[in-house]
Amino acid sequence: MPPVTPTYWRSLAQLEERAESRAFIEREFPEGASELPEGITRRDMMMLLGASLSLAGLAGCRRPVEEIVPYVTAPEEIVPGIPRYYATTMPFRRSAYGLIVESHEGRPTKVEGNPSHPSTLGASSTRVQASVLGLYDPDRSQSITLRGERKSWSDLVTAWGSLSEAHASDGGASLGILSESFSSPTLARLATELRARYPKLQWATYDAVSDENRLAGLRQATGRDVDLMLRFDRASVILALDADPLLTDPEMIRHARGFADGRRAGATGGVMNRLYAVEGVYSLTGAMADHRLRLESRQIALFVSALAARLAPPVGGGASVPGPDVPGLDARWIDALAKDLLANRGKGLIVAGERQPPAVHAAVCALNNHLGNTGKTVSYFETKDAALPSASSLASLVAAMKAGTIKTLVVLGGNPVFDAPADLDFASAMAKVPQSIALGHSVDETAVKAAWHVPLAHYLESWGDARAVGGTLSVVQPLILPLFGGRSPVEMLGLMVGGQDRPGYDIVRETWNPILGEAEFDKKWNRVLHDGFLAGSELPEVVPALTGQPLAELGRLPAADAGGGLEVVFLPSSSLHDGRFANDGWLQELPDPLTKLTWDNPALVSPKTAESLGVANEDWVRLEYAGRSLELPVWLLPGMSDGVVALTLGYGRSHAGRIGSGVGFDAFKVRSSSAPGFASGARLTRLARRYALSATQEHGSMEGRPVVHESTLTELRSKSAAGEKSAEGAHGAGPPHFSLWKEHTYDKGHQWGMTIDLNACIGCNACMVACQSENNVPVVGKAQVAKGREMQWLRVDRYFSGDPGGNPEMVFQPVPCMHCEDAPCEQVCPVAATVHDGQGLNVMVYNRCIGTRYCSNNCPYKVRRFNFFNFTKDTPDILKLAMNPDVTVRARGVMEKCTYCTQRINRVKIDAKLAGRELRDGDVKTACQQACPASAIEFGDLRDESSRVVKAKADPRNYSLLEELNTKPRTTYLAKVRNPNPDLQHAPGDAGTRHPA
Amino acid sequence: MKARTRLSVLALASAVAASGCVRGCTSSRPPIHLNPSMDNQPKVRPQTASLFFSDGASMRQPVPGTVPIGGLKEDTAFFTGKGADEQFVAAIPVPVDATVLERGRQRYVIYCQPCHDARGDGKGILFQRGNVPTASFHQERLLAYPDGQIFDVITNGQGLMAGYRWPIPPADRWAIVAYVRDLQQKRSASATGVAADTERASESERATRAVRGNGAPASERGGGSGGAKPPGKSQ
Repeated sequence: MPPVTPTYWRSLAQLEERAESRAFIEREFPEGASELPEGITRRDMMMLLGASLSLAGLAGCRRPVEEIVPYVTAPEEIVPGIPRYYATTMPFRRSAYGLIVESHEGRPTKVEGNPSHPSTLGASSTRVQASVLGLYDPDRSQSITLRGERKSWSDLVTAWGSLSEAHASDGGASLGILSESFSSPTLARLATELRARYPKLQWATYDAVSDENRLAGLRQATGRDVDLMLRFDRASVILALDADPLLTDPEMIRHARGFADGRRAGATGGVMNRLYAVEGVYSLTGAMADHRLRLESRQIALFVSALAARLAPPVGGGASVPGPDVPGLDARWIDALAKDLLANRGKGLIVAGERQPPAVHAAVCALNNHLGNTGKTVSYFETKDAALPSASSLASLVAAMKAGTIKTLVVLGGNPVFDAPADLDFASAMAKVPQSIALGHSVDETAVKAAWHVPLAHYLESWGDARAVGGTLSVVQPLILPLFGGRSPVEMLGLMVGGQDRPGYDIVRETWNPILGEAEFDKKWNRVLHDGFLAGSELPEVVPALTGQPLAELGRLPAADAGGGLEVVFLPSSSLHDGRFANDGWLQELPDPLTKLTWDNPALVSPKTAESLGVANEDWVRLEYAGRSLELPVWLLPGMSDGVVALTLGYGRSHAGRIGSGVGFDAFKVRSSSAPGFASGARLTRLARRYALSATQEHGSMEGRPVVHESTLTELRSKSAAGEKSAEGAHGAGPPHFSLWKEHTYDKGHQWGMTIDLNACIGCNACMVACQSENNVPVVGKAQVAKGREMQWLRVDRYFSGDPGGNPEMVFQPVPCMHCEDAPCEQVCPVAATVHDGQGLNVMVYNRCIGTRYCSNNCPYKVRRFNFFNFTKDTPDILKLAMNPDVTVRARGVMEKCTYCTQRINRVKIDAKLAGRELRDGDVKTACQQACPASAIEFGDLRDESSRVVKAKADPRNYSLLEELNTKPRTTYLAKVRNPNPDLQHAPGDAGTRHPA
Repeated sequence: MKARTRLSVLALASAVAASGCVRGCTSSRPPIHLNPSMDNQPKVRPQTASLFFSDGASMRQPVPGTVPIGGLKEDTAFFTGKGADEQFVAAIPVPVDATVLERGRQRYVIYCQPCHDARGDGKGILFQRGNVPTASFHQERLLAYPDGQIFDVITNGQGLMAGYRWPIPPADRWAIVAYVRDLQQKRSASATGVAADTERASESERATRAVRGNGAPASERGGGSGGAKPPGKSQ
């Protein structure tokens, strides 16, 4: 573990958990302020404070000397202070996110989706937004090391020279390669060339969180290697089986956009999609569902059989058993679902979760085919240029390592010592390998066990390429030279193939030469770099014929062992994924969308299970399963299946860095290769300890007032037919408001406003990270979050409705500053630090703020954030590079809040003025709006009648939060609409999710 | 209580005294700055130093080979002055009208005139004061340059002249080329007619310099201050 330097991210490294928070606070206060003797008067204190301040002035309060450091050779077209934008691609597993990255004088600072790239469509996700912080991670490894000793790249090249000769002699029989899955023409080409050079080498591809089961299922069903692409935008009836396509799936951006389009279409008069979710652990997809059925993961196969019996004529016998044998399931639910799916042939979509066994995926493929959805809502593609994940390849590599046949192991990224199945014991197998070379982002668990460690270049500093979903070819274009001399997997493989150190640029161009053709290669290549992808490179859809009898296979699955204790389910973390983002403070502090917990991953159980086990929130428990055990706290998540305990992967890393090491609990310790997704037979025992967890939701409490407006599609339609405003109801019928204040007219210039469509919002938190990245929002650490001092300007509130012990519904509501026209905060500020400007923005003048916090106290929406400490005081030099130069970095004692991205408004206004034109609708995009994968946020000029925000505000669903306070918020909401199946209105218990209000 | 108050006042006073001079005396040290109030923020502003990078500069060069959005230079003639055959283009690849010429004149006055002088004789203020050898546009060699080559010289520099690719965007460079061509054309068109005038002007220049000792002739000053009358007409 790297030494903890106290001057480094003090607010984080020292704050998280370790009971030092008290000492920290005392140190943070100015001398004399926190150590006041008892009974001192305020006047005395002020004087002492004054003295200590002026003494401090002696010590070093001189104005720092600033130097102007211009370019020595100024590059063409860089104007200092004016950002430039580059298209690039972030590879993630086998996905590729097409991005536009903002660069300030050659330093990338902000990542956005590329509007013309099919994988992002201009939006992004939490991990895309946070990836820029990964570039400036202070704990990245800084040098090539050989057993901890600094070496140079040329040392490795030399060392590889002798190794390669040795391996060439036996055809590579003692050479092992371990990679993560990828989808990249260059990596695929190099892998093929490497195999040609060392025909006997052992190549393993392993992802801790993988879609291996789905690929295997599709192989079972169709007999070939195909991958699928889900088109939510074309689906009217969606069934998610233990799946979370809207959050943890790598393609969540596209899914969310398609799903939200279908919701929006319904609310504006078109066809609204209907989402059914069958799942044991509450997922974001389940939260969005119109009907959610609680069912353990182990029962899903049975459910599919029952559904298949209703959808398809029995194929080859076997699965023709009718439904009722799914325990605890009301047959009416599944009947209604089957009817709905059959009524929407070609417009239905069934998706199974990555956790589910291959047989379920094969059956789902067959059902989609049977319903005519293939080629419409679900498309299949060849897996080209890809390394597909295979846990068995890892197992055979580990077996060879243990047997001593592997002499050299090259780990091309990934962290197998941390995330390989516990039964394989990768670390001890690795100890038996004499020569190992591990590429890694930091000196992680694998790097400390490896002989050679090579710093891995971030995607923002390396050349590469990728195939996005559907086959679109994209180039990974660097924004900056490697900060720490890191190497990309392309360069490492290039060295192994050619024996020479070749730049990644040359290697990638070599791959693209045949793709683009010799003629005018440079011109076409530059076009690809400029656009971010190669237009027209999509793979042709394949329509696979079913070869097997998947539904019959399904019947042969071993019956679920329901009696054997709790079912344990392994979830990928919504923010850290498999742990690779553990050292990213933004993601660690990002509340989980469902539990609203930060900095931890407790075991999740339903309230009823907790009751039967005698545990409560924050109780310390021991989880025993398959001969392994794990101690961790427990957290109650309403809406989970009873008898299920969910463990979140990716936490509990020992060598993540100063942010991520020792945060949370390592669920990989109990995850075996036999059951990477879920398994029965877990036991939970309460221990005497308790463990404090930091959740943000209580702090965002709206005290029970109905703040989220919700209706059903039928209600909405009948109301709009009657010309009513649907958003009324709760407090619409009150007396007319009158104002005590002289009202402003706001009839000149631009008047900015925002709408947030709760019907489209999926609660994924992408907006929160985007805001954090754009606005230099600090990370405060677990202890401060526990005190309600988290700083995110935008929060996503989550509310449950219905029976907490049963199957409650969930709604999400993003809450930024409302920019009230009659802002309560402004009326109480003694120093006019928060005022209104002519454009209707409620602005903060940081320099005026003296930190009385009256404004926060008076804000009914609780959107103001206070710098209790100097959270950014000891920001290391590398993290200063990640800050947005256009936004003030606030100091201690200053209140801050959402500004409607005023720096973006001004930038666009200046640009328009220089170009001599008026601002157009859509020119200004706030960071949250731009990031939102569901396009739930509209922002624009309220005086522009044709603007999208004005049209959104004209929607009958439009309402203001806490309207009765007459604050006249500029940010308004569009009510959520659910689309329940009329056949299920009166289905009892778990079966229907609608509860009487 | 009283004693503590006195003590505090004393501490305050001694602090001020010990911090050195209060007002009016010089110091090589930067001034005392008691309330930092976010004057220096942990972020990187343009043209600042950074301790992170070994060269001490926070501004980085773009990675070679990368193409920013809007930086696709497919029209090589426009961006490099060279055609597809790697030869300098003979004519300016953008239409030249009065607006372009006027823009070119403005840019010329800002960037070129200090050396090349308002008439393009290479006798600008730097030549006059520093004796920096500067080429005249009116020599045979430069008259024979294709337009693309002049653009290339502005872009990349030549001899002592630095490249101006950074401060002058390509369209403005072409505007300058157009203006330089205009200067040349006017000179050669009136070569016979105004030769004597030019000589007279040079004589009067020398005289002015001798008397006032500070270089720039009045006519060039007019041009230098961005004045309305184009230097070509002053002849």
